[in-house]
Amino acid sequence: MTSTDTSALASARRRALTVAVSALCTEGGFGTAEKGALESLTEMLQSYITEMGRSAKQYCELAGRTEPMLTDVTVSLIEMGADIEGLPAYARRANRLTMTAQPQARTPGNPKVLQTGTKKAHPSYVPEHLPAFPDPHTYIRTPTFRPPASDYQVIRETAASQRRDIERALTRFIAKTGDTQSLFKDDKNSFPLIAPRPLPAPYMLSLVGSDMDLTDETSDEEPMDTTNTSHQQTPPPPQTAETRESKDSLAEGKGEDSSQDQRNRDSDSIIDNPFLQPARKPPFRRKLSVK
Amino acid sequence: MSSNTPTTGPSSASTNVTSGTGTDVVGGEVRSAGVSLADFLLQLEDYTPTIPDAVTAYYLNRAGFEASDPRIVRLISLAAQKFVSDIANDALQHCKMRGSAQSSRKAGKDKRYTLSMEDLSPALSEYGINVKKPYYFT
Repeated sequence: MTSTDTSALASARRRALTVAVSALCTEGGFGTAEKGALESLTEMLQSYITEMGRSAKQYCELAGRTEPMLTDVTVSLIEMGADIEGLPAYARRANRLTMTAQPQARTPGNPKVLQTGTKKAHPSYVPEHLPAFPDPHTYIRTPTFRPPASDYQVIRETAASQRRDIERALTRFIAKTGDTQSLFKDDKNSFPLIAPRPLPAPYMLSLVGSDMDLTDETSDEEPMDTTNTSHQQTPPPPQTAETRESKDSLAEGKGEDSSQDQRNRDSDSIIDNPFLQPARKPPFRRKLSVK
Repeated sequence: MSSNTPTTGPSSASTNVTSGTGTDVVGGEVRSAGVSLADFLLQLEDYTPTIPDAVTAYYLNRAGFEASDPRIVRLISLAAQKFVSDIANDALQHCKMRGSAQSSRKAGKDKRYTLSMEDLSPALSEYGINVKKPYYFT
């Protein structure tokens, strides 16, 4: 037990002791007191009470009891040198002061929490002494987006407008970054047209086909099995000058059927007529050297 | 006195307690002191000491003393009050002795006695308590 407990309860009681000491000093005739003297007397009073309690308890336990009695207290008083007989006389003194009881400190209540909505009731298996559910906004989930419109007309309209915007944007982008031709003579920027690049041999494109299909060799589903020669000859290095690009090579392509049987994806559609077979693609357009 | 149950333990103290207090020294009058205290306890029913009951009970509980009877708590607080007030009276005597030279000039007694450490220290030393203020170095 320390005499210098720093909790709020201890300090409150200490203050009460100081008040009592001040009252006693005033009864004795003092008008003012030094702080140090007051603190000394308070400390002495606290020690006195504590010692009385300790001593009385020990006497009580020595006698084999648990609850102290008047006799224990009396013996403790005598042991501490207090005057027993003067005690009733002291109690009846004339100028005794009694301090009014200090107001009780109210425990701060819970701050009022704003309630938004009614709380959910306990299910039947939950005992009532458990805390209630929190406000419903803590567990209600509302999506923060609007569900997309599933109206057919609205979807068609938005799709059409998006496609129009995309086409316009892309064409303007290519026009801004490449060559342009203009519709109007004096206004060159309002309606730019993408300038077409003329090919040196324009008929080649229609005869041979565009080179865009070269990139998707593996996903080719059409009966290209007999013309796989072109695919096989694309890996070879470009110095092979015998890379054929005209339809004469169809004959060689057909002649190498036997070596490409393992690559035939659809053997049932082999057609004998060479003119009915699909066109063969040249490996690299840039190697066209038709003069 | 209220009845208690003496046990077969160290019974010397218990027999003393049952028959009265301090019987070893002064026979009859100390016995009456115990009895008078018992009577006095009955007068404490409506007495309010200067020290509140709750404060005294708090310090007694810290020492392990659980009082079942609130009158005992009041008795203890009264004894502690008397202790402090005796010391305060002694300090007042010292203060009056110290200031007796000046107070004779005034019309009445000097009402503004101030309890200071210089008066408290000799008063406490008579009780065997030595207090010393720490030196204040400027």
